[in-house]
Amino acid sequence: MTDIQNIKHKAFLFDATRCIDCRACMIACSVENNIPVDKTRIWVAGVGLMGEYPNLGRVSMVYHCMHCNEPDCLSACPVGAYSQRPDGPVLYDHNKCIGCRYCMNACPFGVPHFDFNKGLLQGAFIDKCTMCPQRIDIGLEPACVATCPTDALMFGERTDLLTEAHSRITAYPTRYINHVYGETENGGTSYLILSHVPFAELGLPNLGSTPVRDISEAAMALTIPFALAWGAVLTGVTVGVHQFNKRKEQLAEAEAKAKPEETK
Amino acid sequence: MKMQIAINPRLRFHLSPFVAILLILMGIAFIVAMIRYIYGIGAISNLSNAYPWGFWVSFDLFTGIAISSGAFVLTSIVYILKLEEFRPLVRPTLLTGLLGYVMEVIALLVDLGHPERIWHYFIYQNFTSFLLAIGLYVMIYATIMMVELAPALLERLKLQKFADLIKRYMKPLVIIGATISVLHQGSLGALLLIQPAKLFPLWWTPLLPILFFISAVAIALAMTIFESSLSSRYFHRGLETHLLEKLAAAIPYVLGLYLIVRFVQLALADDLQYLFNSGTMSILFWTEVIIGSIIPLILFSFKRIRQSPSGLLTGAIILLLGMILDRFDVSWLAVKHPDPITYIPTFMANNVHYFPSLPEVSISIGIFSAGILAFGLAIKYLPIFEDEDGHHPAASH
Repeated sequence: MTDIQNIKHKAFLFDATRCIDCRACMIACSVENNIPVDKTRIWVAGVGLMGEYPNLGRVSMVYHCMHCNEPDCLSACPVGAYSQRPDGPVLYDHNKCIGCRYCMNACPFGVPHFDFNKGLLQGAFIDKCTMCPQRIDIGLEPACVATCPTDALMFGERTDLLTEAHSRITAYPTRYINHVYGETENGGTSYLILSHVPFAELGLPNLGSTPVRDISEAAMALTIPFALAWGAVLTGVTVGVHQFNKRKEQLAEAEAKAKPEETK
Repeated sequence: MKMQIAINPRLRFHLSPFVAILLILMGIAFIVAMIRYIYGIGAISNLSNAYPWGFWVSFDLFTGIAISSGAFVLTSIVYILKLEEFRPLVRPTLLTGLLGYVMEVIALLVDLGHPERIWHYFIYQNFTSFLLAIGLYVMIYATIMMVELAPALLERLKLQKFADLIKRYMKPLVIIGATISVLHQGSLGALLLIQPAKLFPLWWTPLLPILFFISAVAIALAMTIFESSLSSRYFHRGLETHLLEKLAAAIPYVLGLYLIVRFVQLALADDLQYLFNSGTMSILFWTEVIIGSIIPLILFSFKRIRQSPSGLLTGAIILLLGMILDRFDVSWLAVKHPDPITYIPTFMANNVHYFPSLPEVSISIGIFSAGILAFGLAIKYLPIFEDEDGHHPAASH
């Protein structure tokens, strides 16, 4: 992940202190992407009332695909149905998908979801946020961002948004937790989050800065060397055992020959 | 060459009640599968967006492949290490292995969202995915096992020439098969490597592929003992206890290695803290370790137990139960998907505490019944328990 890549990357910035839980983003997303009412690619999840009277508070969090810089879904998909555009969006191609749902297991955020109630003919596929490429390609913001009335969601270059996020933390150090979620999590995501409550309370997993796919891919890279080495070992053992047995037979034969001569 | 196979009356497969039950179970599974194809996976299972993988993966994929491991261990012992005395065990374990793989493929046809696109495995390949590797291993190794087992069928069809041809190339076949199979067993563990945030730390480790391989060897030995004991009990076609005793004698070493790797890894990863204070997870961990490793290790260390047929069978069953629990833990029970209450919306929050539905289990039971039936038919009609020269080892004693 170089800086040059970062500059090109589009990203979202979400500020939990600004979200008023109006869910207009959910409606905008459904309308823009033509998603049935019982499905959604974006959701606002609240943790309910927090704190004790009289210091009560409510927190809500807008959730959709994190568009990781190093997507685990992309790494996990056996048939390569996922792809990543150079400017950030992680996209899914339902024409390749075989419905194995490994991406759902791989995604640490639990983002991709599957049509469990569709049969073969209706086509059961994965669905997830696309960052509205049809809009950003003509210079518009994604539908959810364009709709947000309080600018809790913003869209732009990832580096610009990171600067913006850090400047907000510097401006209001008591309001925000001093961390931008997604700056380093899972190798960096294109969905950056500012919050006044611990990120775990928003339902965000606690992840390191190395993407979860790294160990899996490192192990995968060992496959062919291991296969060759193990095949060589087995061949070696086969030949070795064969030679050993042959030698033993020869010795036994020689002994058997030698014995009758002795008796003569 | 013996062409006609002495048919023991107890082997007859006229519609006995047992066979009838198997057929009914298969029929139920077939109907349930049809409902799934028309109305979707959600219509018959409790799988949900919170639990995309469940019983089918744990039972058919993880358990099914694990108990098929006998094939690579036994073929390696006989063809690579040249321990000829174990040759009579090769065909029964190959048969179980092959059936296990075929059953797994059938289960996948139900579990996959788009089974009709399985050929995408050949045209869209993403080589960073362990699931791609696993799919390819299944196909390659099932083919190899079919070829390795083909002489049994060819001998039965009086095509001795072809059978001899395959037998001549058994060694390279076995070497390739054993390599693929080891990769396959390890890759099943590696499938979970991408879930460090979801799989409980008592199970998640970068060494998962190695642990899976070692336990697959233990399972292979136990499975061979289990299967041979049952065959001799119920089909009167089994193998001498002294052979099984030798296999059992290896089990304590394998399990010892498994326990060492497992606990040293926990210590190095600083995960020993979870051993006792993680509630259900600690209980699951200790259950699987005690049943799957510690008790069989102790049991099989006693020569007296190894020499008694019922001792062998008991030990093997205990080991298998524990190791199957391990596969269930890794693929289902110890997997925690992100907390749904806080951020998964209501429509996704259904079935958060996943437990398989009855139709879901009935699919696996139906496929398993088909496997048992196929095994019964195969040992009746094919020279499976006879060795390659047509001797019946159990009868000759």
